[in-house]
Amino acid sequence: MEPVISTTDLRKSFGTRHGAVEAVRGVSIDVQKGEIFGFLGPNGAGKTTTLRMLTTLLPIDSGTAIVAGVDVAREPKKVRERIGYVSQLGGTDELATGRENIVLQGRLYGLDAATVEARAATLMDLLDISEFADRRVKTYSGGQRRRLDVALGIVHEPQVLFLDEPSTGLDPQNRANLWEHIETLRAAGSTIFLTTHYLEEADALCDRLVIMDHGQIVAAGSPRELKKEVVGDSVVLSLHEGDGALERARALVAGQPYVRELTGEGAELRCYVEDGGSALPALLRLLDGEKIGLRSMQLSEPTLDDVFLRHTGRSLRDAGGASGGSGGSGDRAGAGQGSRHSRGHGEAAA
Amino acid sequence: MKILTDTGLLYKRYMVQILRNPIWLFVGFSTPILYLVLFTPLLKRAIGIPSATNGSTLEIFLPGILALLAYASGSSMGFSTIFELQSGFIERLRVTPASRFAILMGPILAGMAMMLTFDACVVAVGVGFGYHVNWGGTALLALLLSLLAMLFAAFSVAMALMTKEISSFAAVINGLNLPVLLLAGVLLPISFGPLWMRVLAHFNPLYYLVQASRALAVGGFGTDAVWQAFAVLIPLAALTIAWATRVFRRAVA
Repeated sequence: MEPVISTTDLRKSFGTRHGAVEAVRGVSIDVQKGEIFGFLGPNGAGKTTTLRMLTTLLPIDSGTAIVAGVDVAREPKKVRERIGYVSQLGGTDELATGRENIVLQGRLYGLDAATVEARAATLMDLLDISEFADRRVKTYSGGQRRRLDVALGIVHEPQVLFLDEPSTGLDPQNRANLWEHIETLRAAGSTIFLTTHYLEEADALCDRLVIMDHGQIVAAGSPRELKKEVVGDSVVLSLHEGDGALERARALVAGQPYVRELTGEGAELRCYVEDGGSALPALLRLLDGEKIGLRSMQLSEPTLDDVFLRHTGRSLRDAGGASGGSGGSGDRAGAGQGSRHSRGHGEAAA
Repeated sequence: MKILTDTGLLYKRYMVQILRNPIWLFVGFSTPILYLVLFTPLLKRAIGIPSATNGSTLEIFLPGILALLAYASGSSMGFSTIFELQSGFIERLRVTPASRFAILMGPILAGMAMMLTFDACVVAVGVGFGYHVNWGGTALLALLLSLLAMLFAAFSVAMALMTKEISSFAAVINGLNLPVLLLAGVLLPISFGPLWMRVLAHFNPLYYLVQASRALAVGGFGTDAVWQAFAVLIPLAALTIAWATRVFRRAVA
């Protein structure tokens, strides 16, 4: 089957005062019909730049991109007819109602008034907008506004929907709600391409994803495959400080044959082990025997952050924390050494 | 045709934005009327004939205000472009197949329609003060005012797309205001000035409009000022719009 999106060695650089910055350095991907495909990476990794090239907003420096069967560089107009795009900002008219926004968008895609009305009604049901559709957008909450943004992106039934950081700025409840709606769209047959710097979003939503860093793909696969790559589990040790306990613990733990890798900073040590179940008692005995005070101990299965860490040497939570901006000019996020990782829950620094 | 439908849709959308913004409307209507109310008495003395009737003073002054409004409405168009760049609205449009010409012209035409409405109000208030309306001349003047407003609006939108943010854009427009207004003889006739000023004025599109508007106010259809204004403004407006459409096409917002 023909992929819906296919790129080969896509590149983009921007001229800055300090010379050219390569924001995207050779990205090749294939996205199949009906997939939710994600770009995961810190701010400035080149995700948004890639997405902007695919959606005709930025000229492509080199490489090819075929979207919905059309070459983006050659026939941008045709691409625009076949794709939907929801930017980070959304871009709704605040003084217009939700319904008016949807109708205008549909009309601009060349749908006639009757078709747009019918389509708007369907979408408002699908995305739970009906209740407030006739209020001005100004009065919407963040979650309501985001759902309207998505509705605008799909009013013309595009072959593929691009979502740029869809849940940025949403609280966890609204985020979960948006995910449900995105799942619904996929179930209805849409192909969805999204960028995110939220690990949980990529994990929960994507069928397949690529992890990007500094303009390049560092890993690709389904969340499960990617996590399986990080063999084994990890144990996070939180230690009592003082008396050189940390240094001693570090040396001691690193010397154990079942510890494959050791990272972490300050009073927290993260050990990657083959089998977490048997490593726990062993580590406990080891530290206890050396009289090193242990505050807590946690066992966790690998997350996408571990995958990121494995490929880039730093944690996505740290990398994503720095710098804002739309990632347009390839701003490099500060690369902190793997410091504090609170696993499992929460989100990347927002 | 798609390009006309799109222009119509975006015209309507922009109109709705304006009409739902009461503060904007209030300022839009009150400013020109304040000009009229506050300036006319001053001008009578400045010209040195306190005995002059309001009507004859207004024949010089009121066409200037109409021209000023056309310029102001046009050149400030880019402020909403900046806002729409920042809200993501323009980016949203750029990903749709909507015609780039329509994205530019929809709002420009809406702004122009508002400008003509304000101008009509000024004329109506002027009539109350004793201004005598020459209907044929006023109709022709409406055409010239629209051309000038489009010209500066297209320029302003293009500048907004190029500067992308409010402070640089405002600096460009503010920098433009003073020379354009002074070298047009909007408030005081340029014939008061020295030769170099009168020469420079010929490079200012607004100058031609102001000259023509004064001739048309008294029904001087056949005067040189009128055909000169058309000869300058039609090609200049067309060129500026073509250029602004190009900027829109290439814009990397």
